[in-house]
Amino acid sequence: MMKTNQNSKETYQRFHVLHRILHIVIIFNFTLLAITGFLLHFSGFGWARFLVSIMGGAAAAGWLHRFCAIFLYCGILVHLSWLFYYKFALKKKLSGPDSMLPKKKDIKDLYQNLRYVFNKGTPPLFDRFSYLQKFDYWSELLGMQSMGITGLMMWFPEFFTRIFPGYFINIAGYFHFYEAVLAVMYIGVVHMSDTHLHPDIFPMEKSIFTGKIEKERFMEDHPGEWERQQMIRTNQTDQ
Amino acid sequence: MNSKTIRSIITGCAMIMFVTAFIHTLAVAASNPDVKAEIVTEESAEPAPEPLVCIDCHRAPNINTNEGVIASQAFCYDCHKKTDTKKKVGTTDISLTITADTFNKNQPNHRFIACINCHTDVARSPHKTETGATCMECHKPHSEGAANEPHLRVSCQACHFQSKFVRLDPEDHRVKLAHANYDSVPISLSTHTLADTADEKTCEKCHFKNNPVGAPAAVLPSKSVLCIVCHNSPLAMGHPIFGLAGLIFMAGLFFMVAFWFKGSVKGEEASLHKKISLTSESVWSTIFSKQLFSLIKIFILDIIFQRRILKESVSRWSMHSLIFTAFLLRLGLSLFTAVGYYFNPQGEWIAALIDKNHWFTALSYDLLGLFILLGIIWAVVKRFIVKPDHVVSEYQDNIALLIVGSLVLLGFLLEGARILVTGIPIDTAVYSFAGYIVSSMFSIFPFDWASIYPWMWYAHGVMAAVFIAYLPFGKMRHVFNTPLTYFIEAVDGVKNEKRV
Repeated sequence: MMKTNQNSKETYQRFHVLHRILHIVIIFNFTLLAITGFLLHFSGFGWARFLVSIMGGAAAAGWLHRFCAIFLYCGILVHLSWLFYYKFALKKKLSGPDSMLPKKKDIKDLYQNLRYVFNKGTPPLFDRFSYLQKFDYWSELLGMQSMGITGLMMWFPEFFTRIFPGYFINIAGYFHFYEAVLAVMYIGVVHMSDTHLHPDIFPMEKSIFTGKIEKERFMEDHPGEWERQQMIRTNQTDQ
Repeated sequence: MNSKTIRSIITGCAMIMFVTAFIHTLAVAASNPDVKAEIVTEESAEPAPEPLVCIDCHRAPNINTNEGVIASQAFCYDCHKKTDTKKKVGTTDISLTITADTFNKNQPNHRFIACINCHTDVARSPHKTETGATCMECHKPHSEGAANEPHLRVSCQACHFQSKFVRLDPEDHRVKLAHANYDSVPISLSTHTLADTADEKTCEKCHFKNNPVGAPAAVLPSKSVLCIVCHNSPLAMGHPIFGLAGLIFMAGLFFMVAFWFKGSVKGEEASLHKKISLTSESVWSTIFSKQLFSLIKIFILDIIFQRRILKESVSRWSMHSLIFTAFLLRLGLSLFTAVGYYFNPQGEWIAALIDKNHWFTALSYDLLGLFILLGIIWAVVKRFIVKPDHVVSEYQDNIALLIVGSLVLLGFLLEGARILVTGIPIDTAVYSFAGYIVSSMFSIFPFDWASIYPWMWYAHGVMAAVFIAYLPFGKMRHVFNTPLTYFIEAVDGVKNEKRV
């Protein structure tokens, strides 16, 4: 990774511009999806009616909800094409230590971290992504697929009832709602506290927006990756 | 149980069977029409009709339910299924017969829609409609493809119903389905048969020579999405030539950007991946910094208001602004229309903006087009007649002037022909003042303008396609290069080489 100097603090690049854009796309669309979705679900309540009327009525809120869903899914498609680009154009391995794929080490890390939380032993040495970050990623990626399918079922019931019986649309509605609750809870509680509430990082983790990570944070939070990069650097200087 | 009881049971059963058989025979006889007729003639000359209860007619089934729809339909079919249901127009009888079978076959998608859902004002006395059938309560007017604003004054049924005859209503200047054929013999439309609008033959019921509604003599493709530079246009490709122009435009853009990346980026010479990531990194850090505000300032002052050209020469600025600002305003107007149409297709403003005969739309597009033409004429005069020392004409400049100039000129000629062909009343047409003057000039010549109009349309369309395809090449490339250079100069400070 490239070394950059900014504000006299030594920083390293952690995220490409593409991934920063995608993260902003997700923030924007996820938030709007959650707001419009819950407002439509709780349409019986006065406050929801008031807020929906600000948006221009239930039809407009529904339109916005579907628009954001498509926008968000375009983000997923861009991400998948990035993976293809990474593998076939940049000829890098998808399964290396930099990858998001779950590994045995993640379970060990979890165990070690739990021991550490109960004051036994040392904290685990995470690589580029910790097990919690991987869990974030996979729950979002897979969750968006099932949200997408159930959402499509409610969007095009005429098409889906040619394949499934009618009550599947109702089931899809329940799945869509409860998974939305789960996703919002997960992002709002786990993801937010995991990133921003770390005592050294508080009030805000900026690396996904600036793309850069400070040297101290890098060494402390991702020691595995740091070690590997140091080895690459020393090899390069030796040659 | 003794034998007496058994006997009485058997006798009872036999009695019951006998009575049942008797009643059944009567019932069969009653349901058999031949026998019934006999019975009727035997009993009385006229069968007493089932007494009507008020609520048989005076009720409102809930037509939001299938049961209600069927009940409501049954009420209409009660009379309309009879073959002798007709009305008299003059001396001719027009059949108003429609049976459930015919309707469901011809309009399968409206099977579960009550008649009064579309024929909204018939359920009253006198039993007569003034609005006709309404479509817009459920269907949005569509903008895709052929049915954009050229057909704004065409009623839905004129295209979507399978009847060959159309008329131009002189009262509201709308094209409607005719209730009489071209020999003025009234015709029946009661079968509700839909036309196949995907078939071009359907369009030819208006678009033929000497048609009664003022349509061009040929079926023309729709405007392309590329036309949005100057006109409001549907989200369609239109004629394949626009697709080709779009492809050339995209390829030109691609090669232009690829050419930029041929140079080195911050010392990186070889890897395209690293060049792109370095470039995007610096673009990102520029956007999320205070420099963004100076870029916005440059965008408004130097790009929209052309400050740098104004500093060089006022006459040059006036000439360039006549072309550029008019283009920009036309683009802004048509983009506003396109977006507005998407969100509120039935809004008053949008209807006015789409209707090219509306006074505001006609006036503003004509005025802006005229500005472009004036700017082009000014430039031509400067380059070929005045020829000041500092103006060096290269063939690329001349090509650009030729393309834009002939594009706008053809546009005005086309507008004149359209006003003439569609026979727009003078008090509407005067707002398209330039086009109206052209149309008055055209009207002197006794040509068959309805047949010439399609050729003029194609000439304008081909010129537009050439204009779009030529944008990333030659002189017109300055549309992309100059703003980018301004931005890069601002970011890098002094005037130096391009960073990318």
